[in-house]
Amino acid sequence: MTASSRTAGKGASLRKDGGRPFARILVANRGEIALRIIRTCRDLGVETVAVYSDADVEAGHVVAADTAVRLGPAPATESYLRADAIVDAARETGAEAIHPGYGFLSERAAFARAVMDAGLTFIGPTPDAIDALGDKLTARRTAKDAGVPVVPGTYEAAAVDRPDQAAAVVGAAEEVGFPLLVKASAGGGGRGMRRVTTAADLPAALAGGAAEALAAFGDGAVYLEREVRPARHIEVQLLGDAHGTIVALGERDCSIQRRHQKLVEESPAPGLTLGERAQLHDLAIRAARGAKLHNAATAEFLFDTDRRFWFLEVNARLQVEHGVTELVTDLDLVAEQLWIAAGAPLSEAVLAAAANALTPDRHAIEVRLAAEDPARSFAPSPGRVGDWRMPSGPGVRVDTALRAGERVPPHYDPLIAKVMTVGPDRGTAIDRMRRALDEVAVTGIQTTLPFDRALMRDAAFAAGELSTDWVATRWAGDARRAEALVRAAQVAAGVADGVPVGAATDPSLRKDGSGSAWREAGRRASADRWPR
Amino acid sequence: MLAPPSAHPGDEPVTIGPERTATDRSNVVVGAVGPVDRDGRLGVEVVVEGWRFELLVEDEARAALRERASRDAAAGGAAGGPLEIRAIIPGRIASVAVAPGDTVEAGQTLLAVEAMKMQNELRAPRSGTVTRVPVGAGSTVELGDILVVLG
Repeated sequence: MTASSRTAGKGASLRKDGGRPFARILVANRGEIALRIIRTCRDLGVETVAVYSDADVEAGHVVAADTAVRLGPAPATESYLRADAIVDAARETGAEAIHPGYGFLSERAAFARAVMDAGLTFIGPTPDAIDALGDKLTARRTAKDAGVPVVPGTYEAAAVDRPDQAAAVVGAAEEVGFPLLVKASAGGGGRGMRRVTTAADLPAALAGGAAEALAAFGDGAVYLEREVRPARHIEVQLLGDAHGTIVALGERDCSIQRRHQKLVEESPAPGLTLGERAQLHDLAIRAARGAKLHNAATAEFLFDTDRRFWFLEVNARLQVEHGVTELVTDLDLVAEQLWIAAGAPLSEAVLAAAANALTPDRHAIEVRLAAEDPARSFAPSPGRVGDWRMPSGPGVRVDTALRAGERVPPHYDPLIAKVMTVGPDRGTAIDRMRRALDEVAVTGIQTTLPFDRALMRDAAFAAGELSTDWVATRWAGDARRAEALVRAAQVAAGVADGVPVGAATDPSLRKDGSGSAWREAGRRASADRWPR
Repeated sequence: MLAPPSAHPGDEPVTIGPERTATDRSNVVVGAVGPVDRDGRLGVEVVVEGWRFELLVEDEARAALRERASRDAAAGGAAGGPLEIRAIIPGRIASVAVAPGDTVEAGQTLLAVEAMKMQNELRAPRSGTVTRVPVGAGSTVELGDILVVLG
């Protein structure tokens, strides 16, 4: 939180004059994050260029932008991952800068370089910083050199293809200790990751992890890391300007995960002491400074049962869950990103929020609504949405680009909406989330809503007993679904009897008492086994 | 509706008695209703507490008949025992194409039932000899009545 020399750049004078950071930018993403960025641009008077694949011709982000450019067919490799086509689109439409959002090209240093080589501004860290942080092995070394405790493990890629080195790898593994994780250096989202409990399983895990990493990221480098478990996953939101100032804007607890993907996030992390919070923020800033980072980034840590923090990685981009920090701090992180990219020093509002980061006076929670089936290990469930009703009211924010009747394509991330609530304390935020989720109505596809509803009613969650093991140890999707099936069948039988559909959500209109002939005969409802 | 997969392996049919009127309708969304499938079952999409189901609703008596019919067809095809063909819809017999002693092939028309101003042809589920035809043209039949017995 050092305020180094804060030279007023081009952006600073613009901001004072009521100007705008850019006249026009291109948003190199889709879905809710593209729309969320476009909204801030509108607030700032910045024109927007959307890009889209053939699966997204009429998607929400395309409709919202001032201009839209087709990239190619639906698969991401032929559209949203085509750096050349995106840079060309920016040039052709006169965009001055490109915001990458999260995922896709957001952490590819080569893309950031291509944007800069084209004479455009990349809204994010420098390519060198992305290189230093995007590669987990480099990030581990950088953090270690900065004096930040790193999860015990190796700091060089394991020699997967060298049989003569096998004994050395096993030796390193024994030093790390079992169970351990084989992780991809270029990794993300749990891909290339393998859990290993004995030395005998190590060679297969290394080969499998390396092959998966190579296929997913084009880089097969893997390393070993001790499995810290049980643990909480806590991360720090960082913002840094081009003039060397880096601040922490509070932390987020993202412990509720499955397959190393976050399901629910909240800020602040429940139960941290003031000292722990100060230590955590300090470690995050040290790690970021070591990598000469600026713009928005997140430093991720594990918090073990002995209340120690272990550095995991830094994500040099806007995170999916940035909204909870916005609700707690009242900042618009995307607006700050644009100003930083335009050369402005961190704003007074950011510095004030950073000064309050240790004593937040609000609590925010986010649940990720995804097109996934929580009774079948969160398997993807894309398809066409029928009804689509999102919550509103006091303390509720919803980020989504989906509309009723629209198709959720199978090609991209299953995230379809982020439902966030905020209140003066955690209890209020949970109460509001429970109410907000009651207002959600989605037909046509299965979503993760049942999981989110159950979590907001869970005693351990309410008590702040968070762990990355929560889903594995406390979630029984099949049993929950079986209970709901009986009620669903009763409702369906009522519909077949002519109970008005509208009555389904309004108990006062319910048909009651005396049974019809149909009812006396009984009804049978069975789940369709499609395709038959 | 009935397009994307929503069924899970192991989902069993649920029989709903008159007690279902006590159903709690909180957090229930009724989505697509219809169409009626070829077995006369109504498709209803229901989302309960976020769980989405595509359900096929039919009268319990008819469900039992349909199940027996498919069981009989399977058993008859394998063992060659007598097969009772029953009415799966109530209506009036419009015409009868076979008499006791006739030999029929699988798929051959046995009779036609008129219901809701529509003629529904009933075909032999397997080959065999007609042993009994307890109905005649003009008979009114109820759901589950025996129409033809194949030996």
